[in-house]
Amino acid sequence: MSRIVVITSGKGGVGKTTTSAAIATGLAQEGHKTAVVDFDVGLRNLDLIMGCERRVVYDFVNVINGDANLRQALIKDKRTENLYILPASQTRDKEALTQEGVEKVLEELSQEFEYIICDSPAGIERGALMAAYFADEAIVVTNPEVSSVRDSDRMLGILSSKTRRAEQGEDPLPAHLLITRYSADRVEKGEMLSVEDVQEILSIGMLGVIPESQAVLNASNAGMPVVLDTESDAGQAYRDAVARFLGEDRPHRFITTQKKGIFGRLFRG
Amino acid sequence: MSANPSPIQPIEFKGRMILVSILRLHPAEPVALQEALEARMHEAPDLMRDMPVVVDMDAMADTPAQDLLSALETVRQHGLKLIGLLYSQVSAPLADRTGLPLIVLGPRAGGEVPLRPAPKPPIESAPQETSEAAPVPPVQAVHTPSLVVNQPVRSGQQVYARGGDLIITGAVSAGAEVLADGHIHVYGPLRGKALAGVRGLDSARIFCRRLDAELVSIAGHYRIAEDILDTERGDNRLITLSGETIRILEI
Ligand SMILES: Nc1ncnc2c1ncn2[C@@H]1O[C@H](COP(=O)(O)OP(=O)(O)O)[C@@H](O)[C@H]1O
Ligand SMILES: [Mg+2]
Repeated sequence: MSRIVVITSGKGGVGKTTTSAAIATGLAQEGHKTAVVDFDVGLRNLDLIMGCERRVVYDFVNVINGDANLRQALIKDKRTENLYILPASQTRDKEALTQEGVEKVLEELSQEFEYIICDSPAGIERGALMAAYFADEAIVVTNPEVSSVRDSDRMLGILSSKTRRAEQGEDPLPAHLLITRYSADRVEKGEMLSVEDVQEILSIGMLGVIPESQAVLNASNAGMPVVLDTESDAGQAYRDAVARFLGEDRPHRFITTQKKGIFGRLFRG
Repeated sequence: MSANPSPIQPIEFKGRMILVSILRLHPAEPVALQEALEARMHEAPDLMRDMPVVVDMDAMADTPAQDLLSALETVRQHGLKLIGLLYSQVSAPLADRTGLPLIVLGPRAGGEVPLRPAPKPPIESAPQETSEAAPVPPVQAVHTPSLVVNQPVRSGQQVYARGGDLIITGAVSAGAEVLADGHIHVYGPLRGKALAGVRGLDSARIFCRRLDAELVSIAGHYRIAEDILDTERGDNRLITLSGETIRILEI
């Protein structure tokens, strides 16, 4: 049985692509055959984060248009077994993603993959709706700030009304909350919403909290999903999120501030 | 001192809102339009008679202007009161010729909350009485069973319980809007807008587990977030209309 999972948020720059790369890699590491699909037509940066941008020949739109078949367009990840990437087109516009085309490609991917991770573009327009329309499950990525939470709330409303499941009158698709770029220090200073605040407003199950971390930038510069950086806080937090996604019960980490040592107290006040 | 000694101003703008239905026209033969209007009229004559509507013609892009004008005339003849045209490429050129104002609505991207089809209220399927010269009763909301919403109402979504009460078991998010002809009950936090008694029922009330609303309104009288005191916000609140004043009480 194959599951289509959309990584979505409403707002841009919150960490959807970072999350898509990390979750897809994590699932593949756990032995699940996984494809990660870039729906951000025109921008294309999933392949950069996955470090496969120099191996792109054909893209998602080529497959929809019949210029290439899926096998030709899918890029096999070099580091992780069981992981494939379907890159977005850089040259086309979002209109190229027709509903029939997307359905056909997802249908074909479902024959072969256990998980299909859809990296949604920002916004609530066509591209984002296409990424979500056929999903069985959603991971809603939110930063702990008011505007991001509001956009996620709006996206949750859309997921419950504008997806195939909703239109067919089935139960709303399960949605999980992933809070990213979380800084316990800034929460303590009142500059950011706390985990409880965000969860209270969105009231959906919590998949994880990913701390704001230099490791994410380092990893993306290196063209490597941060989940492979097993030493890093963000890498570990993503690993926990993947485990929870697969049904494991793990305590949340990185939510409270580190106890400052004597030097921290002396020099940072 | 003011030049005008009279304390009574000749005009006064009242901060009241009214709920107006939007009548969306789809391309159709004149006969079909006529039949559709007649069918509706037959279903709910009291409701339809003199009902104020704003006409949405956005779907009629390919219809010639003359046919649009006669469609509007047909609508008018069936007793609806046209009070404006919903602004669109189609309606804009017609504003002058119809003498109707163009009305612009804000976006509502989330769409309506999908609701499982509610059981049809028996009153709708009951045969209508056909006493012809009966005096026109005042337009009154027909009682229908309460509308129960079992999922949160999210930002951008709107739910309207026509003719009855609205019961929401979860939260109403900031940016969401819930409306009812009758009472509104929210068994989660109310952070968005809630409008009860939208067709004029002064005795309508709003009940909520926690009040943190952007707006509360009863029978068109309203208070926006700014006018709701911090002390009035909080758990277990009841909102009523007393005269022209919206009151917020603890239950
Ligand atoms: N946990 C994090 N810590 C620090 N920076 C992050 C984190 N998550 C994402 N970023 C950075 O934020 C920016 C946007 O991330 P991206 O995944 O591309 O967002 P989206 O796909 O939602 O637009 C990138 O520069 C990324 O490196
Ligand atoms: Mg992205």
